[in-house]
Formats: sequence, structure tokens, C-alpha cells
Amino acid sequence: MIILTNNPDVQNMLTDRSVCFVEGSYRDVLVRARDMVHQGHRLLTHPLMGSLKPNETPYRSVGLSEEKGSLDFDSLQLIENAIETFDKFAAVTRPDRGSNTPERMLADFRLIDASLLKTALESAEQPPDFRR
Amino acid sequence: MKLELGIIKISDIQFAAESKVEGSTLYVNKDELKALIMEDETFASCELDIARPGESVRITPVKDVIEPRVKVSGEGGVFPGWMAKVKTVGSGRTNVLKGCAVVTTGKIVGFQEGIIDMCGEGAKYTPFSQLNNLVLCVEPVEGTLQHAYEKAVRIAGLKAATYLGKLAKDIEAEEVRTYETPSITEGIKLYPGLPRVGYVLMLQSQGLLHDTYVYGVDAKQSLTTMLYPTETMDGAIISGNCVSACDKNTTYHHLNNPVIEDLYARHGKDLNFVGVIITNENVYLADKERSSDWSAKLCEFLGLDGAIISQEGFGNPDTDLIMNCKKIEAKGVKTVIITDEYAGQDGASQSLADADVAANACVTGGNANTVIHLPKMDKVIGHIEYVDKIAGGWSGSLQEDGSIIAELQVITGATNEMGFNTFSAR
Amino acid sequence: MIKVVHYINQFYAGKGGEEMANIPPEKVKGFVGPGMAFNAAFQGEAEIVATVFCGDSYFNENKEAVDTVIALIKEENPDIVICGPAFNAGRYGVACGTVASEVKAQLGIPTLTGMYDENPGVDMFKSKTIIMKTKDSAAGMRKAVAAMAPVALRMAKGEELGSAAAEGYFPTGIRKGLFEEKRGSERAVDMLLKKLAGEEFETEYPMPQFDRVQPNPAVVDLAHAKVALVTSGGIVPKGNPDHIESSSASHYGKYDIDGVQVLTDKTYETAHGGYDPVYANADPNRVLPVDVMREFEKEGRIGELSHYYYATVGNGTAVASAKKFADTFSKELIADGVQAVILTST
Repeated sequence: MIILTNNPDVQNMLTDRSVCFVEGSYRDVLVRARDMVHQGHRLLTHPLMGSLKPNETPYRSVGLSEEKGSLDFDSLQLIENAIETFDKFAAVTRPDRGSNTPERMLADFRLIDASLLKTALESAEQPPDFRR
Repeated sequence: MKLELGIIKISDIQFAAESKVEGSTLYVNKDELKALIMEDETFASCELDIARPGESVRITPVKDVIEPRVKVSGEGGVFPGWMAKVKTVGSGRTNVLKGCAVVTTGKIVGFQEGIIDMCGEGAKYTPFSQLNNLVLCVEPVEGTLQHAYEKAVRIAGLKAATYLGKLAKDIEAEEVRTYETPSITEGIKLYPGLPRVGYVLMLQSQGLLHDTYVYGVDAKQSLTTMLYPTETMDGAIISGNCVSACDKNTTYHHLNNPVIEDLYARHGKDLNFVGVIITNENVYLADKERSSDWSAKLCEFLGLDGAIISQEGFGNPDTDLIMNCKKIEAKGVKTVIITDEYAGQDGASQSLADADVAANACVTGGNANTVIHLPKMDKVIGHIEYVDKIAGGWSGSLQEDGSIIAELQVITGATNEMGFNTFSAR
Repeated sequence: MIKVVHYINQFYAGKGGEEMANIPPEKVKGFVGPGMAFNAAFQGEAEIVATVFCGDSYFNENKEAVDTVIALIKEENPDIVICGPAFNAGRYGVACGTVASEVKAQLGIPTLTGMYDENPGVDMFKSKTIIMKTKDSAAGMRKAVAAMAPVALRMAKGEELGSAAAEGYFPTGIRKGLFEEKRGSERAVDMLLKKLAGEEFETEYPMPQFDRVQPNPAVVDLAHAKVALVTSGGIVPKGNPDHIESSSASHYGKYDIDGVQVLTDKTYETAHGGYDPVYANADPNRVLPVDVMREFEKEGRIGELSHYYYATVGNGTAVASAKKFADTFSKELIADGVQAVILTST
């Protein structure tokens, strides 16, 4: 699984895997994931995981397949919907949210993002993934 | 399976020297209960407070709401896997302290959520403003990690509710409500002409602060499975979900699941309520495929004609909801889904993160982005400074006069997706 | 007295038709053209204090036009702004919709316009301003004014409008909160029982409609198939002989490319006003790949390229119009023995 993330905690947690660190925003991670879907990767985790709204947490991690195939339309629809949803929430700006979150809250946002991703990794490692 | 609920009405809570239920008043020995909670070494302190309907009180940040219940007869105990052995519950008799609840609060992480206002504008949106609430504020010892604190608060709530419930064990309830679900074959014989209806109950299961437990098992590690409806009334399902106050299902919601109550109300008359299918909302997409395949398979297996599907949460679960709906409809089983909406503050945006034509029958708990103005309250239980950090609040949400301007998202249970409330949108 | 500003195009301002569509925004005191009917319908409760007008082409092709219009309107400090009605005129509809939405958003003044349901402005702006339903041409002016004037008065007074169906405007898609009599779970059970009984039921949240077209089965023998090109990218013979509009196209063109091996900047161009035309004009094959199709023809990868191609401009063109175009030329394609079509857009 390729992990796209802008969350340093995820990078630190996963020293043994291919983590693709995105220097940028939550939205930048989604856009990069969309680009990879167009290149034939499949989404393996939900791009809107967690109940924290896109204008609250600045962190996002997304898991994609290592292998490339023909364009996966389910993945494309999911990531496009996610970007649309992100933009809907981003319309309401919150001075101390998103990219302006104070440091004492950032650590918690990083923690939530990393732990949700961890559940996906645990799921991925149970049986081999024979999906598709 | 047959369960009788003995309804013991509670109209007031008072602190007293002895914990007991007398008439419709619940008396609580503060020190005794505190000592019980403080047995957990995670906690540095524990405060108890009471919030009654109509009082100028705000409770925040709310973690969970739990109704006190106790098993009078029948197998097992309330909250199996937590407060009782893992025995199948849902039969015999259970006494319920109706009209009161334990509310837990604590600042587990920096951002927080969940407001219960006992009067004013906010009280209209949360069902918990109608209850006499015993509020538990517990603080952890320094250095406690978030997940350990969350678990401790969750268990403290269950402990307190169990402690209160036991006070009603020997009371003969004046009102008894009976719920019964026959076996599949008996059901077919009993109600040959009635449509067979099931309930697909989706459980939040994304990870830290987003979990639900069934008989002590983390729902994300479970395959889609079945319950007798009455099992939920004995606390088979408890909430560990602390994010998204408006559309999370608290333990109180699971104990008083409105879909289950309303399906029972028509059971044997207009429909045959066959059972409950519980399924999860994981973040790993292959899990979603598997879980929704299983929901559809079980609907087919049970020979259902129709199913109600309720969701929990926003975003990621929208995908599970639509997958469940599509696949169940594809089996020829008619569905109604219950959800809520994030249509923007002006109500003009797309409400859900996913959609499908199969979802042609939808009940909504309203738009969680709706902006509301909550008046100042005389008393705040918990931590008001966290209002600015609440989901649905923002910097400046807390006004100088103590009132709050925020989105409906901040209110615990406001847009519940089990259809607990009358609030909706068109 | 309620103060009204009226926005109209060059045609209704009496300046002329298409030849005057390039005039920039202007303002005159009082009413002009259809404003007279509005003023009469207000019955003394309101008055058009000024009329702002602009050429439709100018408005659609100049980004600053809307700012100028808004500035002109702002000076009047009106209680409500009425735009149009635009009936089925595409560019006028987009202009009315833009002005109405922007005035509402930027100045916080209520706005009202009117359109026919195939006007592309309806889908673009119905969530941003109230758009009353009208007939498809100015023949419906009297009826449109009679419907719009009282609604305008009530909006200016700050009254809440009733439902879209009752008032005659296009549903805005704006979600409004309410408390129902029954709780959600009970409504769900009621709805399910109706659905099971095959009775009518009303969903509380209609899912967004996506016009998804199921792909046809693959062409089995492409090497012997006759293939046609169809584009919404606006590639037309140089000079745009059919005058296909640069936006909100009202028609399409059918062009003979028998013997044409490659499109050049001397012979073809784009009529499309919605993208930078430099690259399409330099090499029109980029939008309508005649060059590659000819190569395929020679290599035997396709049977032949059809003699005709069809072109229109997809820029703000109503889905209903596009469907109508395709309904007509699909029959011709079939009659011509075409077995496959390559659709290109921009």
C-alpha cells in the first residue's frame, strides 16, 4: 500500500513502508490521490475517513494500491466526491482551524489521522487483499 | 426472544446520604459513587453534578449519555462484555430508570464537542435536555494517553449507570412494555401475510474516538452479523464514538433505538419485524465491500421484503450507506435510509458525499451546518473554553455575552441518524 | 415607496438586436421597455428608479461587465433588483442569472429573474437567486410580469416566500430546516410500508440526478466500420458560415470533409468562446482529429471516415438543446450508415 500523507506522525509511524509525504494541505493530498487514480492506482482507504470535518483537521492520509491497472471508476468517483466535499466545507473559514490550527490541537489531529490510518493497515494485513 | 422493560419514571435527581430510588426521585450518595469511579487509577479527579430540564445549565464537552438499567430476570446482565459477563442478553425482565441519564464529559483531545443545553434554543434540538442528568466530569492523571483516557471515561459512564440501575433492581415497575421476536420459522407461521422487514444498523467503526462495541467486541473487527432487537435494550451495543456530536449514536440511543421501537409498534399488525443486522463503517475500502456484501446477503438470506438502514456519522459512512442501500435494493429488498445532511450554512450545497438512484426513499435528520444562536447559561458543567474548539464551532463562536453562535453540529444528538428526533429538512 | 432597479439587455432597451450585442453597460433613470409593465403591476407600491442594460455578448465576453453593472445598481440603493425575464435566450439568461446572484451575494439585496426551463441560466443560477418560470419567448411577457411583480414586492418587504411549486419559481435546491410531527424513525417506517405496498411516497432528500448514459456495446469490426466525428468544441469552417454562437449555442452545423486530409488554420477555426482558442485555431485537428482518422483509414484500422461531421459549441449550452441537436443528427448518422461516432469536447 502506498500511503499519501501530509501528517508527519504517519511518516514517523511507518518507517518500513512507502510513504509519499505531501508538503501541503489536506486538499493537496486529495488532489495528489486523484492524480494517482488517473494513473491507474486504486484507492484502498476512504479519502474522508474520520468524522473531523475537512475545515477542522489539516491532516489527511490516504492509502492507494502499489500496482497500477486501468482506471478504477469507483476510486475516481470517491476521490472526486471527496474533493467536492472538501471544497464545500472549506467555504466556511475558521480562523483557528484547518491550516491555522493552534499547535496544542495539531498534535491531537495528527494522532487521530494516524490512528484511523492504522486501523486500515491492520485490516489490510488480515487476509491477503483479493479485492477486484 | 422476549424482553419486558419495567419502566420506573424518574422526575428528579438529588444528592443524599444514601443512594436509592424513592417515588420518582433518584437519590445519589455522591461520595460512594465518586469512590467507585476513582477506583480507576487513570483518574486524578471526579466531579458529579446534576442538570435538570429547564435549568439554565450547559453541559460540554459531552462524551456519552447512558440510561441506567438493571437486569431483574433472564440471562446475563446489562452491558455484557463490560459490566457483566459475555452472556446473550435481551430476554427476561430489565428495569429502566426512565427520565434520567448519566452524562460523561472530559477533554480527551484538544478539539472537543458536544453541547447539551437544558433550556433555551439549544434545548429544542437535543433530546437530552428533557432528562434529569447526572453529569460525570473526570480528569486523568498527568501523562495519560488519549486512548487510555477515552476508554476510562467510557467505562466510568457504564459503571455509574450500572450503579444507578442496580438501585431499581427490586422495584416493581408500574408500567411494563413487552417486546418479542419469534424465531424465523415461527414468524412465518404467525404472520403469513405481512411484509418481512429488517433493520440494518450501521455502527461507527473508524478507529480512535470513532468506535462502537458489541458485547465488548470492537465493531470494526467484526463481520456483519445479526441481533435479536431486544439485545440492544440490554446494552449489547455501547458507544465509544466521541466525534461529530450531532450525528453520533450515544449509548442512550442504542438502548432506546427508535427504529427498533417503531418497528415493534407495527410488528404483527402491518409488518413482521424479523431482526437487526449490524454492520460496520470501516475506513479500509475492501472492508466496506465485504461488510455491505454481507448486509445484502443477510437481507436475502432472511427473505426480507424491506429494510430500514440507519447511518452513523458523515463522509466515510456516506459511502457505506450508499453501498448498503444499492446492494440490498439489488437483492430485490426495498429500502428506506436514514441520514443527515451537511448542505452548508446556506443549505445550498450537496448534502451527502455519495449518492445513488437506488436511494430513492430517504429520511433526513436535518442539515448539521444550520447556524444557531445559543443564549448564555447561568451555569456551565464541564469546560466552556472548549466551545471554540468544538466541531461546528469556530474562533469567535463564544460571544462576549456568553452566548454561542455555532452550527447545529455542536449539539449532542441534534441530527441523529436513527431518526430519534423530529427535526428534518426539505 | 419600494425602490426597484431593473436589469435588461440591449434588445429590450431598444438599442437593437444581435448587431448591438456588444454595447457596454449603461444606466438610465426610470423604466425602459418591459419596465413599464412592471411599474404598472406594482400598483403604486413600488417604482423602477433606474434601468441598467448591457449587450449580451459584451456581458458574456467581458469579465468586468458584471462589476460595472453591480456598481451602477449599488448607486441606486434599491430594495430589490429584477433581471429580465430572459425567457429562452441563453446569453441573456446567463447575464440575468449572474447579475441577480452577484447582487444578492455582494450587496445583500433580494433579486428576482425569470426564465424558460430550458434556458441554461436556470441550472446555473437556481440555487443562487429566485428564478420564476416563464414561457419560452417574449410572447409570455404579460404573464411573466403578472407573476413576477407580486413576488418582487413581497421579497422587497422581506417576506418569506412559499414553496417553489406554490409561487411558481424553480426549486432552489436549498435545504430548509423544520420540525416534523413524527420522529424520523416513525417516518421511515411509514415510508417503507408505502414503498412495500407500491403506494406513492415522498423522499425527504431527493438524490442528485446524474444523467448517466450507459455505453453501447463495443464495435465488433472496427476495420470495416464507418466512423463519424461529432464535437462540442466548436470546430467550424473558417468564417463560421452557420454563425454558431460562442456560448449558449442555439444550433449546430453539418460540414462536408470528403477529401479533406487534414484541418489547417487556413480552412478551419473554433467558434467556442469558453476556452483559449489559440491552440485550436493553430491546429484544429487538436479538437477534431481528422488527421488521425485519415491515418487510421489508410492503415485499415477503421473502415472509413464519414463524409460529414457535426459541430456545436458546448459553452453554457442547455442540456435540453444539446439533446435536441443529437436527436436530429443521430437519425442522419444512422441513415448515412455510420456505425460508430467519436465525440470530442474541450
